[in-house]
Amino acid sequence: MFVLPRLGRGLLTIWFAVTVTFLLLRLLPGDPALAIASPNMTPATREVLLQQYGLDKPLIVQYGIYLWQILHGNLGISFTQSIPVVDVLMQRLPWTLLLTGTALVATVIVGIPLGVLAASHRGGLIDRLVQIVGVTGQSIFVPSIGIFLLFMFGLVLGWLPIGGAYDENVYGLAWYGSVAAHLVLPALSLMLVQLGSYVLTMRSTLIEALGEDYIVLARANGLSYRRVLWKHALRNALLPTTTLIGLQLGFLIGGAVLTETVFAYPGIGRGIYEAVTQLDFPVLQGAFLFLAITVVVANMLTDIVYGFLDPRVKKS
Amino acid sequence: MTDKSVDLQTAKARALEESVGAEPIVRDDGRAAAQTWRAFRREPLGMISLGVLVLLTLIAIFAPLIAPYPPSYGEAVLKPPSAEHWFGTDSLGRDVFGEVVWGSQQSILVAVAASAIAIVLGTFVAVVGAYFRRLDSVISVVVDLTLSLPVLPLMILVAALVGPSTATIIAVVAAFSWPEVTRLVRSQALTVVRLPYVDAARLMTSSPLWIIGRHIVPAVTPVIVVSVVVTASRAVLSAAGLAFLGLGDPNVWSWGRILYEAQQSGAMSSAWWLTLFPSLAILLLVLSATLLSITYNDARNPRARR
Repeated sequence: MFVLPRLGRGLLTIWFAVTVTFLLLRLLPGDPALAIASPNMTPATREVLLQQYGLDKPLIVQYGIYLWQILHGNLGISFTQSIPVVDVLMQRLPWTLLLTGTALVATVIVGIPLGVLAASHRGGLIDRLVQIVGVTGQSIFVPSIGIFLLFMFGLVLGWLPIGGAYDENVYGLAWYGSVAAHLVLPALSLMLVQLGSYVLTMRSTLIEALGEDYIVLARANGLSYRRVLWKHALRNALLPTTTLIGLQLGFLIGGAVLTETVFAYPGIGRGIYEAVTQLDFPVLQGAFLFLAITVVVANMLTDIVYGFLDPRVKKS
Repeated sequence: MTDKSVDLQTAKARALEESVGAEPIVRDDGRAAAQTWRAFRREPLGMISLGVLVLLTLIAIFAPLIAPYPPSYGEAVLKPPSAEHWFGTDSLGRDVFGEVVWGSQQSILVAVAASAIAIVLGTFVAVVGAYFRRLDSVISVVVDLTLSLPVLPLMILVAALVGPSTATIIAVVAAFSWPEVTRLVRSQALTVVRLPYVDAARLMTSSPLWIIGRHIVPAVTPVIVVSVVVTASRAVLSAAGLAFLGLGDPNVWSWGRILYEAQQSGAMSSAWWLTLFPSLAILLLVLSATLLSITYNDARNPRARR
């Protein structure tokens, strides 16, 4: 079984995220109680909460209580909305998943053919162009590109909505249409900043694969260049691109936080922005843990897919 | 860790190296450095990037001579660029050109300070780990775990708890950037440690510190140079991201703060000059740093030299 170690690794990462959060909250300068109880609460409510989290007990006991609470899905109460943080974030999570998922799929669908195009025209004009666009895309500040797209397609041309995730008072099929229309610009912004690393990785691994002996052999056997490129070389070059997905997930989530802020998209990222303005610490802490778990789960999925793509990983 | 996951880890490391550039082992003696510089000078893109970085640094240093510090308010509100206000004015009538010029100070300061801390810490951990193999497994697990977490939300949490200031931003960005440096430097240090000359050095002295300082660090210097640039440009983007979410220093101008205030005042969509110029400044700084590292990588690689 090769799935089990992945699962164990995922759980280890989540435990690490929880522990880091705990240590940061307790050891940093500032009132540790802030992470759980707002100073604006009535003293009685605050006292009950602090006791529930054992903030009067030694650090190691506090850690135990903290783990116990999180295992039971208790991330505290949002200061501003007075409902459990888990409920706040659960409402927002689907939007973040929709946005990042769409952006990721779009990046892979556009990035792989672009990388193949650049590699097969190595040194040519197309190759140069693709490389320039790739490097520039990696250097752009995510909100910059979001604001530009919003200005261009939302305001000047008026083709697409400028914010939110759906239209009010629209039902049935039209509702799905409005969700799709609201998704285009945020997903496009995320795709454009992610694209560079995929295209450049695809390009360099494909160029390397094209130099292998089995490619020369396939060509010598009389297979056409197109067939060798798409059937033989691409299969092997796809593997590092799959690992890249796992490596880029953290950046994708960071980008989503900024993109959601620009487009007022009701995901966890926008929730973070609102929590920062109101200093709602339980939401900030919960949002980090939610996003960490999202990344870990997505990472496990890519690892498992990798195992199916590359039999060597599964067998060994 | 099982064989399979080790296999996957090496594959992952390879994939990342592809995006940063392969690491040929070049002993960095004087001759090699001179050759690298000669190859570097022939690349117009690299020289232009270097020029842009020097120019931006000069602007940051001489900001007081270039533009007056933006006052707290002005007469002309939200005016498009003109001869008087090159980059227009914001919703409080302040000169955007002045904000961008003064903002370069903080952006460059954060980039330099945060990457310096991250580099020293990251290199130290990587080299010590490579030399003392027993520590290495612990270090590589911690680095892997940290790298698989979404860093920006973690930075946000810490910056919000500690309170926004330039020092906080530098500390937060540095604290979550060193694992990336460790990962880059470690892979190179591991190959160097196995080379015969390090074994020879072990016979000559019993001080691991001497071997690390005299033989291992110089051998990984090229990787360090590359990761300085990569870390610095990431730091600029992270700091701008924090400022854009309202966690920047409210008393110091930064490019992220200009964008944040444009968003807060609701003028972001109508006044294009408010967002265009700070965005261009960030792009210019990060892009030239990235191009510089790519050119340097090519220049020191004898196989890529023309």
